[in-house]
Amino acid sequence: MRLYEYEGKGIFKKGGIPVPWGSVVESAEEARRVASEIGKEVAIKAQILTGRRGKAGGIQFAKIPDEAANVAQGIFGMELEGYKVNSLLIEEKLDITNELYMGITIDAENGVPVAMVSAEGGMEIEEVAKRNPEKIVSMLVNPLYGMRTYEAINLVRQIGLEGRALTSASRILSQLYNVFVANDARITEINPLVRTNEGKMFAADSRCEIDDNSLFKYPELKDLRIQRIGNPWERKGVEGGVNYVDMEGNIAVMANGAGLTMSLLDMIKTDGGSPVCFLDTGGGLSEERMRNAVSLLLKKTKTDQCIKVILVMVRMMISPPDAVAQGILEAIEEVKVKTPVVVVMRGRAPYEKRARELLGNSAVSLCSSVEEGIGKAIEIAKA
Amino acid sequence: MSILLSRETRVLVQGITGRAGRTQTKWMLEYGTNIVAGVTPGKGGEEVEGIPVYNTVTEAVVQRGAEASVFFVPPAAVKAAVLETIEAGIKLIVIVTEHVPTHDAMEIRAYAKGQKVRLLGPTSPGIITPGEAKMGIMPGNMFTAGRIGVISRSGTLAYEISGDLSAAGLGQSTVVGMGADAVAFTNMPDLLELFENDPDTDLAVIVGEVGGIQEEKAAQFIAHHMTKPVIAYIAGRSAPEGKRMGHAGAIIQGSMGTPQSKVTVLQEVGVEVAEYPLQIVELVRQHLIHV
Repeated sequence: MRLYEYEGKGIFKKGGIPVPWGSVVESAEEARRVASEIGKEVAIKAQILTGRRGKAGGIQFAKIPDEAANVAQGIFGMELEGYKVNSLLIEEKLDITNELYMGITIDAENGVPVAMVSAEGGMEIEEVAKRNPEKIVSMLVNPLYGMRTYEAINLVRQIGLEGRALTSASRILSQLYNVFVANDARITEINPLVRTNEGKMFAADSRCEIDDNSLFKYPELKDLRIQRIGNPWERKGVEGGVNYVDMEGNIAVMANGAGLTMSLLDMIKTDGGSPVCFLDTGGGLSEERMRNAVSLLLKKTKTDQCIKVILVMVRMMISPPDAVAQGILEAIEEVKVKTPVVVVMRGRAPYEKRARELLGNSAVSLCSSVEEGIGKAIEIAKA
Repeated sequence: MSILLSRETRVLVQGITGRAGRTQTKWMLEYGTNIVAGVTPGKGGEEVEGIPVYNTVTEAVVQRGAEASVFFVPPAAVKAAVLETIEAGIKLIVIVTEHVPTHDAMEIRAYAKGQKVRLLGPTSPGIITPGEAKMGIMPGNMFTAGRIGVISRSGTLAYEISGDLSAAGLGQSTVVGMGADAVAFTNMPDLLELFENDPDTDLAVIVGEVGGIQEEKAAQFIAHHMTKPVIAYIAGRSAPEGKRMGHAGAIIQGSMGTPQSKVTVLQEVGVEVAEYPLQIVELVRQHLIHV
């Protein structure tokens, strides 16, 4: 789960990392009040869940409170990268001499945290990695021991820092690591970490992602996570306990198991079809989950006229065919849409036989193999 | 004996008294798995399917000689339970549990490093040595005994592909589900090495998917250490970019992680990559004819 900049800065501050003085606001009037409290030039930053807001006008500056209110008013009306702006962070503007990068994330190969620093802060780190990979230095951290002071100093030295800058930056790196661990983060990143004219360092931005598997420890975030899913269908999917991803096409696809669903999409594309979504129900199918999943797709076809057919592939392992078939039929009964539904149910022979008894005479087209099901769905989609 | 698991392996089931633990214990026993004990703290003295339940892993090891363990333990309890299991001297641990906190997974991995234990998962469907034993939730009827080793990140695809191979008369030595989480306890090259050294395996099949660096690392291993043929399939070639892909992990690995990069690096080291699951059967058959 990705956090807003101001939330990330909140946990940075708790962890001892210096952040600029400021406050989050939800109206132009509040923006004026905060700007006048700060009493100097302020930065006004749109709070959206993507990093690319500067170029689109999501970060502006104002010298006096009236100007801050006007600028804030303008940004509140914007839609940036598909996100509507509902809140702004008003902060003191810093006099910056240079910008660094600092981040902690997970190294997939070694399964340990990795710390990265670069003297090229302020631009997207993905770009730096592509153009000048040598400008990023990194270090693996043993999660059992944490980051030791000398390790932080050794890493930060490699980007050319000396004296007070070296000690400040390495202290912030250690704190950033501690924040990463204490909040079950997948990413904690400061970009840029700025150095001011007076030689002080501040986290001018934050990027934090909390591990979804750890959200049970943070009940307040768990509910927010669902609310913040921008795509309404993906949100409904999470609410119904299934994994849903929107795509562009005309065949709605669902199956039980992420790998199986992905391979179905691949096969449909290879055969000239065009899947409109990925819906993985996960294992241990109940009648209820099956009904939720199928009805989600049927409801989607009501709003998206492009969808010509729904392809359902169920590999019956644990779930008995009765629950699966019943779930499908109930969803069709509940959501009255004429969209054709192609079903493939595979499993032990008695399971397949029972599935034929249950669905053979229903409104769905029952196919006996994956290939047949895909062929049928593509044929309907192209008709 | 194929790899990791045989009919003799003395298996412990942790979380045996839960719903999943009970059901799967029944099915593992029916398949022939030599389950010798279960553990659920507070339920010591009970029985599940005739199997004695203990409070601690050490009791199960001392009294029943358990040597491998399969986990149906809730995610928040996995870390402590794994550390207990390693300390009790268990040599093979399969974590079926989904949604294990990533920081717990990292700590477990770091703790296990350097110790004589093999961990699989989290989110692993398990291991099956067809005709002998299974640890985990794989549906036994999809597999038949034979000489092909299968390594899969996805559970359901492991079943599908093994089912296709079985239907074509191509049995499997062992099928290993390594788990689909960002942090895997055992990486693909380590499993390939086990198949390379296994006299009962002639050929290995890798079932990969988008994201991470497992397949890229497998390609490096294959180039330098594999003499047996390897066939691969990568799921998710049509997956939209940026969905559920760990961006930061991809930074340090450059362009690694995209399905195309995986296919390319595998092909460069001579691995044939199937376009769709069923094609694996054709590719395997061609190889076996050539051998």
